[in-house]
Amino acid sequence: MARKDLLDIASLHREEIEFLLDQSTSFKKLFTRSVKKIPALEGKSVLMLFYEASTRTHSSFEVAAKRLSAEVTNFDVAHSSITKGESVRETIETLQAMRTDYIVVRHGHPGLPAMIARQTTASVINAGDGAHEHPTQALLDAFTIKEKFPDPRGKKVLIIGDILHSRVARSTSTLLQKLGVEVAYLGPGSLVPKYGPATIPRFTDYEAAMAWAPDVVYLLRVQMERQDVQFFPNVREYHRVYGITTARLAEIRDKGLYIMHPGPVNRGVELCDAVMDYERSLITNQVENGISIRMAVLDWLTPGGDFPKQEAYAARQQAGSSLLMP
Amino acid sequence: MLLLQNARIASENSPVLVESDVLIIEGIIQEIGTSLAIPEGARVIDARGRVLMPGMFDAHVHFRAPGFENKETITTGSEAAINGGITGVVMMPNTRPALDSATAIATVLENAKHRARIPVYTSGCVTKNREGEELAEIEGMHRLGVIMLTDDGDTTADPAVLLRAMQYATEFGMFFASHCEVPELAGPRALNEGVMSYRLGIKGSPACAEEIIIDRDIRLARAAGAHVHIQHVSSKMGMETIRWWKSRGDVKVTAEVAPHHLLFTDEHIGDYDTNYKMNPPLRTQADCDALLEGLKEGVFDLIATDHAPHTPFEKAQDFISAPNGITGLDTALVSLHHFFVEPGKFGWDLVVKRYSAEPRRLMGLPVAAIEVGQEANCVLFDTEAETTFTKEFMKSKSQNTPFIDQTLQGRVDMVILGTEILLER
Ligand SMILES: [Zn+2]
Repeated sequence: MARKDLLDIASLHREEIEFLLDQSTSFKKLFTRSVKKIPALEGKSVLMLFYEASTRTHSSFEVAAKRLSAEVTNFDVAHSSITKGESVRETIETLQAMRTDYIVVRHGHPGLPAMIARQTTASVINAGDGAHEHPTQALLDAFTIKEKFPDPRGKKVLIIGDILHSRVARSTSTLLQKLGVEVAYLGPGSLVPKYGPATIPRFTDYEAAMAWAPDVVYLLRVQMERQDVQFFPNVREYHRVYGITTARLAEIRDKGLYIMHPGPVNRGVELCDAVMDYERSLITNQVENGISIRMAVLDWLTPGGDFPKQEAYAARQQAGSSLLMP
Repeated sequence: MLLLQNARIASENSPVLVESDVLIIEGIIQEIGTSLAIPEGARVIDARGRVLMPGMFDAHVHFRAPGFENKETITTGSEAAINGGITGVVMMPNTRPALDSATAIATVLENAKHRARIPVYTSGCVTKNREGEELAEIEGMHRLGVIMLTDDGDTTADPAVLLRAMQYATEFGMFFASHCEVPELAGPRALNEGVMSYRLGIKGSPACAEEIIIDRDIRLARAAGAHVHIQHVSSKMGMETIRWWKSRGDVKVTAEVAPHHLLFTDEHIGDYDTNYKMNPPLRTQADCDALLEGLKEGVFDLIATDHAPHTPFEKAQDFISAPNGITGLDTALVSLHHFFVEPGKFGWDLVVKRYSAEPRRLMGLPVAAIEVGQEANCVLFDTEAETTFTKEFMKSKSQNTPFIDQTLQGRVDMVILGTEILLER
């Protein structure tokens, strides 16, 4: 049941998700031991290919790989301007020649990790591709929720913020729905598209969203850098309308709701400072769980297999497009 | 001397195919009738069961020369046309350098004369280097026979510039072809804004980006007393906008639709398949249905492929990096037959009218028809045979089409132009 790659949540089966969450539980138990390393991936190489900077995800994968005894190499792309698909293909050829076992890739272009996966024998893990998917974030979110709600079916998660540009929103809501969790979106009309998934209720009013009675409030990072045009007037207004203000935190505390955030937090924007001390904030749990989830993923994937040549890909594409209508 | 026996003749005026013999002497259709006598020395072709129609004419192709000969040349592009039963084309001017001067036009036309076996016409730019600022050398290009002006690939952004160009060029009897899109609304111009763009995580281009410019350019043409031709319409509202303006009757508007916009939706992009990446983007089934309706009603005067070749290397990139466009000349006629004529959605008369007669009328050319006294300009088409669009079959230098390795019903068997048999299978 192991796969070569982890590219998205959409194509994962429920059993695979359950398996990864179970494995993560086992790996997490290792954390309390004095020797945290196990030899599961000894002799294997993990290549980190981060076209977008990300300290958090990058170091989480690195720690996970090292705890499994893999050798970790960083491919230096962060400081180069080589980000277009054309040059990425040249990089892939180099990587294939190096016969690395795993490639953890983050890139601003959706679908690019899948393209790499088709052209290498390495197991490719999507560590975030543009506004498309971020599967390990979704898994760690689900794992964090399951620690509080062992049977999460019927629980409600309200995701607040920039739904339009968020790969976290896409992956996490897809995964939670697969686990029977109800998901709703709240955010400015310019950032919560009307054509989002029909199964996800969409609020633009905070009070109405709270009346939906969520168990978890999941705040997305406001990514000013990803906005080529202005989607809301300013961050103060954003905080007042969609943020967790001091007054709203009191209400959340009263109701005993959990708070999550994929980090890094913009304090005073998504949430007020006091949230960091809130006893039901799961933000640091998410960071911690990121490591065990990524260990589970690395351990689960199976590198190698036939080198999928361009022709094979072409054939697969045709198989797909022979469903041509009418 | 050529005698085609028992061919089923298609024309723009009748949905009924008339079975007849056709005698061609010295490139002219001499006689049409039943059981014609076989003149001495004539080559006789048994065309029974096959459709004989005028050669198609594509008023929107990119032959990439000068500047991008790795994608296509005038030779490979015109051979792709012949391969698909097309006997005349109009090139778009977004080459490098752009076709914005008499010199550039003269070079291209000279090349076409030597390197193409069919007439290749070209449009010219509205503005210098398609930059939307200074007017191109309009009269100079007109002197060389250019009548269509367009900054295809980009909308002429400043309405004041376009209005002035319209006022100026209309005096020479020229008209304007508009690629309709507000770039600020369109993002990376890769796909329709909607469910699919959300799922793929790519900023989409909403249909309103097209509708706004369709409406804007028709209003400008009305103000200038110009003729505007709306290129490759992709949306339902775009079609309805044109229909409304045509019904008013106080401005000269023509419009075209591409086969791919009738056939494919954004859903076909699936797992980031770049063979479905084009501009304007593929939209929804409701849009396809509306475009078909518009074609049948005559809202669209013509079918044009927007033949847009790109190398396999370029298209093998990720969806955002890959260029927009698909090839269309090798596949157009067979795909129209397979998806529309064969299932009875429209007849050969519509194909002949919209893909042969009207495009020639738009360009001010004599219309090809299978009639006595006409120059032979015809295609013999087998509706029972199949065509598999392998890499080897394609004559275009590029194979960026969703039809690659697909088998469709219908086959272009013969293409005759004047005294030449351009293709025979
Ligand atoms: Zn074009």
